[in-house]
Amino acid sequence: MSNTSMSNTSMSSTAMSSNTLTVVDREGVTHDLEWEPDQSMMEALRDNDLPVLASCGGTASCATCHVFLEQDVFDTLEECSEDELELLVEAEGYRECGSRLSCQVGFSRDLNGVTVTLTPED
Amino acid sequence: MTQNPVVIVGAGHSGVAVAAGLRSRGWEGGVLLIDAENELPYERPPLSKELLKDGASDESAVLRKEKFYADKGIDRLAGVTAESIDRDSRTVLLSDGTRQAYHRLVIATGSRARPLTVPGAGLPGTKCLRTRDDAVELKRLLVPGARVAIIGAGYIGLEVAAAAAARGCDVTVLEFQDRVMSRVTSAPVSRHFEQLHGRHGVRFVFGAAVTSIDGGQRAESVSVADGTVFPADVVLAGIGVLPNQELAADAGLECRDGILVDGDGRTSDPAIYASGDVTRFISPIDGTSQRLECIQNAQAQADRVAAHITGQAAAEPEIPWFWTVQHGVRLQTAGVRHPEDQTIVRGEPSGGKFSVVYLREGRLAAVDTVANLADFRAAKRLIAQGAWIDPALAADPAIPLTEATSGTPNHSDADLAAARS
Repeated sequence: MSNTSMSNTSMSSTAMSSNTLTVVDREGVTHDLEWEPDQSMMEALRDNDLPVLASCGGTASCATCHVFLEQDVFDTLEECSEDELELLVEAEGYRECGSRLSCQVGFSRDLNGVTVTLTPED
Repeated sequence: MTQNPVVIVGAGHSGVAVAAGLRSRGWEGGVLLIDAENELPYERPPLSKELLKDGASDESAVLRKEKFYADKGIDRLAGVTAESIDRDSRTVLLSDGTRQAYHRLVIATGSRARPLTVPGAGLPGTKCLRTRDDAVELKRLLVPGARVAIIGAGYIGLEVAAAAAARGCDVTVLEFQDRVMSRVTSAPVSRHFEQLHGRHGVRFVFGAAVTSIDGGQRAESVSVADGTVFPADVVLAGIGVLPNQELAADAGLECRDGILVDGDGRTSDPAIYASGDVTRFISPIDGTSQRLECIQNAQAQADRVAAHITGQAAAEPEIPWFWTVQHGVRLQTAGVRHPEDQTIVRGEPSGGKFSVVYLREGRLAAVDTVANLADFRAAKRLIAQGAWIDPALAADPAIPLTEATSGTPNHSDADLAAARS
């Protein structure tokens, strides 16, 4: 794949190697990103300049990549580790059926087209 | 190269974060990263943890994929170092003989392992751990049955001790102080980790002043001041780091065990910034002069530099924080503890999950959490708020830390005077 700035139409109509990801930022503005197979969700957010600090580099140590997922998507994911859960429950605006650390959400075809909401900063 | 190049010397966490931050903040001039190493810039925390594990890959996760640099118009020069700065002509002389002009220069050269200076320190088999090459080399030496002597019981020494023990090595840690991690934590936490290591077969010798490394072709033993000799096939020195400030010092920038920077990351030359481990600055939290060796600081300073260069406001920095994992047990620290802080243990260390909170004049100043990330997270927020803590409530682990606050200082003036004396 050589084209790095594809339009949304061509991304959704073609079988692509990457997923699309719709991100609602803290101002409520929507961004459509490409999520590549070798990226965690956090990396896709960070590398597309969304304000995700990810200060532990993706090791479930800091919770600065906390996101909300829609419940039907959330329910399909593997359960949180104990570390992730402990960080999340103390996080600003924690949602029992929606909060995840995006560094712990790996790429999956099933997650094509999902919407992710950045959480308030602590 | 594009107009107005920002030249960043060093491609560790901070240097890469400056480059990424400039672009995400809309910087349209050039961005050039000078990287002393040859591969893509990589994560360092795994070098003393995951990478040393049996069967783990020799690769450490990259900080950004190659495509990121290309997409963002960040140029990289790999395998090249900066030799000197000519501040009058605003150029840097590089090790490949070229001279690079800069509009702004950012020094993010990080730190290096403090070298052992005893006789024999240069013998093969004596290592330190700073780069991926160091980690890969060390891993090859950590074979079952190898006698490993680790000098220094700080984060690096203890993480390597844990990895070596897990690989079946015979591990002895030689520490000059009387407990592990004495510089960064309190006695209850030290005791807990010493016992944890002990259960995994790691031996400790405290009060050990190493006098020499001995051997013929390679390290064979370590001698300490009381005459004891510890046989060793591998010697690891984990005795702290030194800031890589020479480039700045030679150019006449103010340095004092670190390049001095202001709150925007500026050095004494307004066209030159510094960021990360290599810097020393006045803490906005407690007014002390600090050099912080952590990812959090590397990123926060990088953001300040990128913000200042682009004329924007920087994000509120996180409270400084640190983590280590030893034998699978996670210790996370928020804030910077002072030895004279009031120390309150929350929970029972023998249960494996507890915290220690540190109060300074009644306010939460720092916390150590062992397998207890909920307290870590809560404490980070309370430290940022400068929250007053009720010591009796804080000592009860059944009460969430956020509910252990008190509306007013909980101590009398007499207590305060006593705490200060």
